[in-house]
Amino acid sequence: MKVSYFETGRYVAPPDLPREWPVPAGAYDPELGAQSCRGMVERVRFVEELGFDWISVSEHHYSPRILTPSPVVSAAFLAAQTSTIKISLLGPIVPTSNPIRIAEELAMLDTMAPGRFVFGLLRGTTNEYLSYDLNPIEARERTDEGMELILKAWTEPQPFGWQGRYFQYRTVSIWPRPQQPPAPTYALGTSAEAGEFAARHHIGLGVSYGTFELMGKATQYYRERCAHYGWEPGPDDIIYRANMILGETDDKAEEALANRSKQAPFPISGPLRDALLRSDVTRNIAGEKRPANVGGVLPISFCGGPDRVVEQLRRCRAEIGAGIVDVSLADPGTGNVEGMMRSLELFGTKVLPRVRDI
Amino acid sequence: MEFREGFVAADGFRIRYWQAGEGPALVHLHGAGGPRLTRAHDLLRREFRVIVFEMPGFGQSAENIRTRSMPELADTMANAAEALGLDRFNLMGTSFGGRTALWLAAQHPERVSGLVLESPAAIRPEGARPPAGPPEEMARRLYGRPERMPPLPASDPAVVTKQEALVVRLRGPGRDAELERRMRGLAIPTLVVFGTLDRIIPPEMGRHYKELMPNCHLVFVYDAGHAIGAERPEAFVDLVADFLERHEAFVINRAETIIHP
Repeated sequence: MKVSYFETGRYVAPPDLPREWPVPAGAYDPELGAQSCRGMVERVRFVEELGFDWISVSEHHYSPRILTPSPVVSAAFLAAQTSTIKISLLGPIVPTSNPIRIAEELAMLDTMAPGRFVFGLLRGTTNEYLSYDLNPIEARERTDEGMELILKAWTEPQPFGWQGRYFQYRTVSIWPRPQQPPAPTYALGTSAEAGEFAARHHIGLGVSYGTFELMGKATQYYRERCAHYGWEPGPDDIIYRANMILGETDDKAEEALANRSKQAPFPISGPLRDALLRSDVTRNIAGEKRPANVGGVLPISFCGGPDRVVEQLRRCRAEIGAGIVDVSLADPGTGNVEGMMRSLELFGTKVLPRVRDI
Repeated sequence: MEFREGFVAADGFRIRYWQAGEGPALVHLHGAGGPRLTRAHDLLRREFRVIVFEMPGFGQSAENIRTRSMPELADTMANAAEALGLDRFNLMGTSFGGRTALWLAAQHPERVSGLVLESPAAIRPEGARPPAGPPEEMARRLYGRPERMPPLPASDPAVVTKQEALVVRLRGPGRDAELERRMRGLAIPTLVVFGTLDRIIPPEMGRHYKELMPNCHLVFVYDAGHAIGAERPEAFVDLVADFLERHEAFVINRAETIIHP
């Protein structure tokens, strides 16, 4: 099993910061922001030394919870200051962006540091659509079409036009091109659509935060669709992103779990939250209808001392089929950076050496 | 359907109004220059029952030497709305009328379902003054792009003098502690709109409403001056109508971007 560390920027917010999304931009402190960027480099170098395989970055907007609105910028910054660890972008939010721009920027990364990057393409959570004014009803179809266009732009050797449902280009011919084949690429999501897309394009699937049982349904669906398209994904084709509370002992981890805030750090107000839920009704896990996530508290999937966590990672491998776990070791937005550094070290020394044979 | 003129009695005043359209009621209180029907009203009446009041002492009404304060004027306008059978309504106030509308909402929150403040003058920097002067000068202050607008008609000096005296008496201080105290407790969904080229009230005043009011949304209309509804009526009405229909949820885009099915 490979292990990835999810780097979120870790802006240590003062306690009097407004606690509603979107968080007023005027409350941002540039010095804390700069500190957060220095911290990103420190932590990524640290996990590189510890022997983590990847780090991951994501795209989130309008709050200090995850201070990385542009994963491409994060990835370029971190790749330039580390030497071997793979940087995974999990990932650009496709439906809110110009897909050609995403194709070009990822191709630039793949050209600047071949072999260092991993690309994930995703639909994004519903509140993110507010940031770039996307109609949530169109998100699914724009994602599918945008992802397909990105892959086409990476591989089609001749200038081509695209007569889509949501995107139209009369001529596309990107320079630079990514490596051929491009860096490992994943569709991210638990939906039947994501599984189908990944299977049809012979790319990986990344799932996140759900229970082993539910995520197992999503990856099982993906595997079935891969079989339909005549191929079988390997362990490296499945990523599971999840929260982990790792303590020196099971009791210490349980205590941390009990003390964990039951509130999202920057929740969306009630009426807007309800309206978002009503506007985004196509969410599913392997075809089973699910409500959208509009910025609620994300569950903890792994919790315990090193022995128990290793056992849970074995179960994750068996039930989800994930060969790569992408872990967050302290809730983004809580500001507990020191605690997370201790957990990272504990993971690197007591867990990482024991997961290689999983 | 055109706007029809009518009169209603409130607090001893005979108050003129124009009304058109069907749908949820939307009461509009004008700015310091008095009432003026614009294309924005024409667009709004397609979705709302629009009632545009001429506040006592403005326009063709008799000189108003009785109203002593903005809260009092706001009460009079609430009574005028009640006399028209409007129990609960959407309320829009422009500039000076934005301050009146805020006082009306603060004093009768149960009657206002949604509040729109167009270039409101409820919070002003030191030295901000209502525009005055010949039509060219008025246009230069009122519009962001006066060269794109038809010329303003010349105003009647007697009306101008009468209105100016009233405005000076009622407009209150730039920052009114009592009004701001009430704004903090006002949970009515509120939309504050400023033009990016406003040369009468700096659009930066908008942030104070957002800071003070618990359910306030701030939107800048690009390339519009102080008279947003007159200058960019389609953009203004699209925003106002969407907000009054959906309140907080208006931040969720529902426009279709599909090119070909």
